Amino acid sequence: MRNVLLQSSCLLVVILILTTLTGCNPSPEPQFRFNRVAMLKQEKTDLSEGEIYPAEYQSEISNILTALYGTPNEPRFPFPLGDDDPAHEVLSLDNLNQAAGPVSIDRLHQTAGLYRELCSHCHGISGDGAGGTAPSLKPYPRDFRLGKFKFKSTPLRRMPTNEDLTRIIKNGIPGTAMPSFRTLPDNEIEALVDYVKYLTIRGQHERRLIAELANLDGQPILDFDLLKETDEQGQEIDEETIAENLEEFQAQLYMVVGEYLGEDIVSRWVEPEDEIIEIENAPAAFLLDHPAHATLILQGKELFYGKANCVQCHGETGLGDGQTANFDDWTNDWLKTAGVAYEQPATYVDFLKAGALYPKPIVPRNLRTPVFRGGNLPSDVYRRIANGIEGTPMPSSPTLSTGEIWALVCYVKSLPYENQGVKRNELPVNERVVD
Amino acid sequence: MRKSFLFAVIILGFISMPLVSDDGWGSLKGSIVVDGAAPEISKEKIDKDQASCLSGKPAPDDDNLLVGPGGELKDAFVMMYRKGTDPTPAIHPSYADAKKQPVVLDNKNCRFVPHAIFLQTGQPLEMRNSDDVGHNCHIITFNNEENINLATKDSVQVTFTDADKTPGNVVCDIHNWMDAIILVRDEPYAAISKADGTFEIKNIPAGTWKFQFWHKKTGFMKKLDVPNYKVGKIKADIEVTIKDGETLDLGKLTLPASSIKKK
Repeated sequence: MRNVLLQSSCLLVVILILTTLTGCNPSPEPQFRFNRVAMLKQEKTDLSEGEIYPAEYQSEISNILTALYGTPNEPRFPFPLGDDDPAHEVLSLDNLNQAAGPVSIDRLHQTAGLYRELCSHCHGISGDGAGGTAPSLKPYPRDFRLGKFKFKSTPLRRMPTNEDLTRIIKNGIPGTAMPSFRTLPDNEIEALVDYVKYLTIRGQHERRLIAELANLDGQPILDFDLLKETDEQGQEIDEETIAENLEEFQAQLYMVVGEYLGEDIVSRWVEPEDEIIEIENAPAAFLLDHPAHATLILQGKELFYGKANCVQCHGETGLGDGQTANFDDWTNDWLKTAGVAYEQPATYVDFLKAGALYPKPIVPRNLRTPVFRGGNLPSDVYRRIANGIEGTPMPSSPTLSTGEIWALVCYVKSLPYENQGVKRNELPVNERVVD
Repeated sequence: MRKSFLFAVIILGFISMPLVSDDGWGSLKGSIVVDGAAPEISKEKIDKDQASCLSGKPAPDDDNLLVGPGGELKDAFVMMYRKGTDPTPAIHPSYADAKKQPVVLDNKNCRFVPHAIFLQTGQPLEMRNSDDVGHNCHIITFNNEENINLATKDSVQVTFTDADKTPGNVVCDIHNWMDAIILVRDEPYAAISKADGTFEIKNIPAGTWKFQFWHKKTGFMKKLDVPNYKVGKIKADIEVTIKDGETLDLGKLTLPASSIKKK
C-alpha cells in the first residue's frame, strides 16, 4: 500500500515537472528557415554526385543574413549610406517592426505581429510559401524569395509598386486561397507591404549568397568576434574598443553587400512607378451597347485563334486545356536542375525532403469562367496580355498593337457569356462550355 | 590594420576598372573533346503541331548534347570567371561595334536556332519566328526573365540589363521539347564551342585571368582535363596568363564521358 502511494506520488511529481517544462513554457522563438532547396540545387550543380557543402558554408550564410536582416522577432535592414540611403524609399523599419514579431496589441490598440497573425500560415515565417497550409493549396502560396510577382502594373523583371501589392492584399486573388484583407486599416496594410518587400529582398540575397558560396572557399567573410563585449579572459572590453569593433564589423558587412550581393536587388524597388506601362483608353466599341461591339469581339476572336497565339495554351475551347504540361518558375527553379525529371519522382525525392513542394503543373486560365486572378477590370486583363505574367508561361506581346490588345480583352471578357441561352447539345463543337 | 586592408580592397576596386589595356591584348583558344562513349542521345518527343514542326521528317535528336564522330563537344561555354572583388577587364575597341549587332535566336521547325547563345548586357537579342505556328520565347536565368509571344514571322528585339554567372534556359512553353541556352555577361570574354569542339576568345586584355568551362549536361566541367593546367574542383576554372599579341592555345581539352549526365 505504502509502495503504491509512493509510486503514485512519484508519478505526480514527474507529471508536475513535465508540465512545468513543456506545457506552460512558450514555444521557442521562430527562426528564418534556410533555403535548403537552393543549396541542394547549388550542390547538384557544383559538386559530384552525393557530395555536399560543409556545414560551415550554411552557417556563414545564415550569420551574414542575420547580421543584415535580423530575426523574425527583430527585423533589421542594411542602410549602407545611412540616412541618405535610397533603401529608405523602399521600406521603413517602423513598418517592419509592426509587421514582425509575435502577435500583440497594446493599450492604444497598436497591433504588432501582423505577418505572423495573417500571412505566415500560408506564406511561411520566412516568406518561402511553405507555411503549414501550403501543401494542400493550388496554386501554392507565393514564395517571395525568387523576387517574382505575377500581378502588377510593371513589366517582367520590374518590381511591383506599393499600390500593386496593396491591391493584392486588399482584394485578395480570386480563384485562389489568397483572401481579401480589406478590413485592415491602411497603416497595417502598409506595414505588410513593407514586410513582403523585406522578406523578398532577404530571400533574394540568400539565393545570391548560396550561389556565391563556392567563392568563399570556406573562409568566413565576417568576423563575429568583433561583436563580443568581453575578451578571451572574460574581461570587459572598454567602450571605445567596442564602438571601434562595431564600426569595423559594419564595414565588413557593407563590403559583403557591395561585393557579393550588389545593389541591384534593393535598387530595383526604388520608384518602380517609373516602369508602369501606361494604357491608352479603350476604343468606344468596348462598351456593350456600342453598335460595333460585336465586330470588336470578332476581331478579338480572330486574334485569339491566330496572331495572338492564345489558342496554343488556352485551347480551342478557351477552357485552358491547350498546354497543361508546364510548371511555373518557382517549381522549374529546382525541377530544371540537370538530372531531375518530373516523370521520375525518384530523381527529386531529395528536393522534396529539402522542403520543395511537390511539383504541380500550372494550368492555363479557363477563360469560360469570369474569374480573373489579376483583377477583372478591362485594364487588368489588358496588362496581363500586354506584359505577360511573371514566373509563368504567359508571354508578353510586344508585337500586338494597342487596338489589337483591346479587341482581345473584349473577346476574353465576352467568353464566359458566349452562347448563353444555347442548348447544350446545340453548342458549336469548338466552344463547349464548362459543366 | 584590418580596416586599412578593407579600404585598400575598396580603393583597388575603383582603380582596377580601366577602359583600355596598357599591356596589350591576346587571345585564348582550344578544343573540347569527350573521352569515351557519350550517353545515347534521345529523340525529341514532338507531340504537338507535328505538321509544321516535322514537315514529314522523323523526330530530330535532342540538341542538348551534340558530340561529333571524334568526340568533339558542341555548345560548351568557356567564360571569364570573376569573383566579387576581382578586377573588371578592359574591353577591346573591336567589341564596341560587335555589341551593337543583335544576336539572333530563330524559331525554326520548332527548334531554337542556334541552340546556345551568348550576349552582353545592353546588346540586342533578336527573337524570330520562321515557323508557321506560334511560339513563345521564355528566357529564365538567375537574374533575367523575358517571355515574348511570337506569332508566325514575328521578330522582337530585347536587351538585358543584368549579367549572369551561369547560363540560363530559353524554353517555348507551347512546345515543351524546345530549349536553348543563354549566357548574359557584362564583358565580351566568353565563347561557345563549335561543332568541331573548338573555341576562341579574341582580344582579352593581357594579364592573368580565370576562365571556366560549362556545359548543359555537366554543369561546370570539374572533370575536364586541361593539359598543363589545374582545373578548379568546384567552378571548373583555370588561371591563364594572356600575353600581348599572342594566342594562348590550350590544346585538346578532354572531358570523361562518365561526367555527362544522362537526363
